[in-house]
Amino acid sequence: MSAPARLRITGGRVYDPANGVDGAVRDVCIEGDRIVAELPAGAPRLDARGLIVMPGGVDIHAHVAGSSVNHGRRLLPEEHAADPAPAPTLADGATARSGTGGTIPSTFTTGYRYAGLGYTTAMEAAVAPLAARQAHAELDDTPIIDAGCFVLLGNDEYLLRQLAAGESARAREYAAWLLGATRGYAIKVVNPGGIARWKSGGGGGGDAARNVTGLDDAVGSSAVTPRLILETLAAAANALQLPHPVHIHCNNLGQPGNVATTLATMQALTGRRAHFTHLQFHSYGGERGKGWSSAAKQVIEHVNAHPEVSADVGQVMFGPATTVTADGPVEHLLHVSTGRKWVNVDIELETGCGIVPYAYKEKAAVAALQWAVGLELFLLARDPWRVVLSTDHPNGGSFRSYPELIRLLMDRAYRDEKLKQVNQKLLAGSALLDGLGREYTLSEIAVVTRAGPARLLGLSNKGHLGVGADADVTIYPDDPDRATMFSTPRHVIKGGTLVVEEGQLRRAPAGRRLSVRPAFDAAVTKDLRRFFDEYACVAFENYGVEPAP
Amino acid sequence: MSPAERAVEHVTCLGCGCACDDITLVVKQDRVAAARNACTLGVAWFGDGSASHEVRVDGRSTSLEQALARAAEILRAAKRPLVYLAADISCEAQREAVAIGDHLGAMLDTLTSAAAASVLAAQRRGRAGATLGELRQRADVIVFWGVDPATRYPRFASRYAVEPRGLQAPDGRRSRRVVAVDVGSSRAVADADARVAVAAADELDALGVLRAIAQGRVASEDARFHPIAELARAMMQARYVALVADGEPAGPPDDLAPDRAEALVTLAQALNGPTRCALATLRGGGNRSGADAVITWQTGFPFAVDFAPGYPTYRPHAGAAALLDAGEVDAALVIGSPASVPAPVVNRLTRLPAVGIGPRASAALFQPAVAVDTGVAGIHESGTAFRMDDVPLPLRAALTGPPSTTASALHALRQQLGA
Repeated sequence: MSAPARLRITGGRVYDPANGVDGAVRDVCIEGDRIVAELPAGAPRLDARGLIVMPGGVDIHAHVAGSSVNHGRRLLPEEHAADPAPAPTLADGATARSGTGGTIPSTFTTGYRYAGLGYTTAMEAAVAPLAARQAHAELDDTPIIDAGCFVLLGNDEYLLRQLAAGESARAREYAAWLLGATRGYAIKVVNPGGIARWKSGGGGGGDAARNVTGLDDAVGSSAVTPRLILETLAAAANALQLPHPVHIHCNNLGQPGNVATTLATMQALTGRRAHFTHLQFHSYGGERGKGWSSAAKQVIEHVNAHPEVSADVGQVMFGPATTVTADGPVEHLLHVSTGRKWVNVDIELETGCGIVPYAYKEKAAVAALQWAVGLELFLLARDPWRVVLSTDHPNGGSFRSYPELIRLLMDRAYRDEKLKQVNQKLLAGSALLDGLGREYTLSEIAVVTRAGPARLLGLSNKGHLGVGADADVTIYPDDPDRATMFSTPRHVIKGGTLVVEEGQLRRAPAGRRLSVRPAFDAAVTKDLRRFFDEYACVAFENYGVEPAP
Repeated sequence: MSPAERAVEHVTCLGCGCACDDITLVVKQDRVAAARNACTLGVAWFGDGSASHEVRVDGRSTSLEQALARAAEILRAAKRPLVYLAADISCEAQREAVAIGDHLGAMLDTLTSAAAASVLAAQRRGRAGATLGELRQRADVIVFWGVDPATRYPRFASRYAVEPRGLQAPDGRRSRRVVAVDVGSSRAVADADARVAVAAADELDALGVLRAIAQGRVASEDARFHPIAELARAMMQARYVALVADGEPAGPPDDLAPDRAEALVTLAQALNGPTRCALATLRGGGNRSGADAVITWQTGFPFAVDFAPGYPTYRPHAGAAALLDAGEVDAALVIGSPASVPAPVVNRLTRLPAVGIGPRASAALFQPAVAVDTGVAGIHESGTAFRMDDVPLPLRAALTGPPSTTASALHALRQQLGA
């Protein structure tokens, strides 16, 4: 039964929050790669009695492919040696590939492991436009999952020039052109202006001079500020009617006291759709050099009150992680403070890349605070549709820790027990200590792991099981230990193909690419060519991802 | 240009790791009449664009199907096959090759194995780097450490780190201070504003002194290192330092290479305290950096990957050459230009049943039992290649090559093998 043309999943308890189905026992019918309303009586059946049926998981923010991710892979031979991944045995003698795991698995292993958790879609969250060709090649070698690329734009020299010249319309046309040229899905902004400052060099003013500290610092030209960058790109994403709004990694990631910047950023964009990513890393009180505290409550209260804002949490999970980001100056600080090995790659005219392997330890005060802040955000969020699950894989922990995170959200007794084991030094003032009693329901988990991310991404065929939806379905055992349940799906169907069968990966079809191609005014390419002629080291004709003739 | 000529523009040259993508090939009767903008290395690499079209088994011409059937037989029968990636193949071909290595449980190795010190140092310590175009935009002090790119990376200075105008180097060369550090007999760049000589025996100490000063630690007051201390101060006063070293120096294996590579990385990292610094490690051509990238994303390791246990394991100190020396390999699949394969590897290959797939494979010195001539990536075959700084670039097929490309021949071989 390879690629079943028709399949009736019978008798399972269905959680399909986008269609208001909350644990009702009903059949789900698949024809080809779509969900359909009905099938003829003789159609093949998959018995799901006693099992839980959900749409396939959708990861709104992960680092799985591209130049930065691959620099990270190269940096981790020890992890790869410790986690070999032999090729799975597929049905019908089909060929599978071996690989290695760790916090940044090889590409094939990444696809198999996502599918093994019941995830069928993942967004690569930071693609340098110059290296987009590589991200797509890696995704071509990442089976099963459908994937899209967020394209880095907040520190781009051409964009900053347009802003300095007051040419916001041209900035918008450029963003549109770039999304098409890189086959991207959404606009990503990382530390707007901060990476440009980091690359512009010097050290005289210390680290503060090599980053921005707030929304109104000048970036090169006095007219250009993080505020202007954010406003321009948020407006561009909305004007271009992109399916996903601007995806923002705020300034001052990981710094104590960064709550002020985070709230200021949200206020600057009030009334405009914007997605704030790995919010946990941006929700700290305290002051640099003087200590840390949780500011999760302040941040989530703003999110709760502003329906135009959405977020993913970027939960920290105890264990190994690899921090990998375009935010170069942050990684330099982490390298200096931890003494761990460090990669920095400044990427010409566009962005940066920094990597430091890391481990979050229960007994470390800051890690415990970060863990608590993430949980507070989850537990205080009023609308799960707008505050969805991520670990910023592999920054806060691997995507493989999602089942454990789900248990923390669903099982208060388990969470309270864990809380007792962590360093308490910085937890004063954390709402978690006040005994946040909330337990996520299965329906809410279905929201934060599939229905919500799909809606925020504008993926109308994903994250639900209505007629016409992609036939991406995950069927879990109803294990009371929710970590076990979510780490061992019984069956996973991707685009109508049964990829996990009786808990075993059995098929590994290629995933599809999700991309947009907004229209733009061709005049922008004329101006861009001049810019390329003057500064670029890659020909305009060789930029972008289309194959050369 | 005469009517019989045509021009192919924006061609990427793989003559060295600079991967200049501004070449215009003038093509006449399906031959390269001129390679405009190319340096001497590039002109030699393009040649006249002629390709050999042989498909042979045991020296006799045959069909592609028969050749691949025989190749599959040889590889299937082997207990310890080697898959070796040489120069002039696209990333698309490399991806097929790794799949074959995985399926066979083979040892997979590449040109990188022979000059691995900088790759291994980056795995131990990381990198403080930049793409070459960013050096062009930012660098105001450029230090060439025992390397003159003029011979093996001829356009490095004119395209990237010295001459061109950049965002923060509005006057090009005049906006930058160039320091040549001559190390032993390795003379650095000729066009320098200052020269420092370091005895070969003092090299690691000199790098240590530079790093100590960059970190604000008290450094040796040894008179030998006064010029080095001055260099450290010049670097620290810079806005953005480009430190340029050779990742693949010519000459015999060098015991100091691992320590030197690590000292260069840690120096560049340390300079990011007082200022900004990027280390540029020069690499050769033929898309060897692409092989590192592809093998890393498919296996988690950049070269010297042994699939024998059924999954990738890393043998950076016991790659193809060591395995061949030990007599462990009993068949080989060599992909790419045979002329790029290092001599010690070639010598051992002559004694083995080998399959060669690549440009002029039929003329390989190791006389492969099966030879499938394909085109040169970037001349006859399109696809993707990586610049030495890991920037991916498109390749154009400017000329007609043999009917089967390297990637398509490998794909067909994969199907023969069931891989």
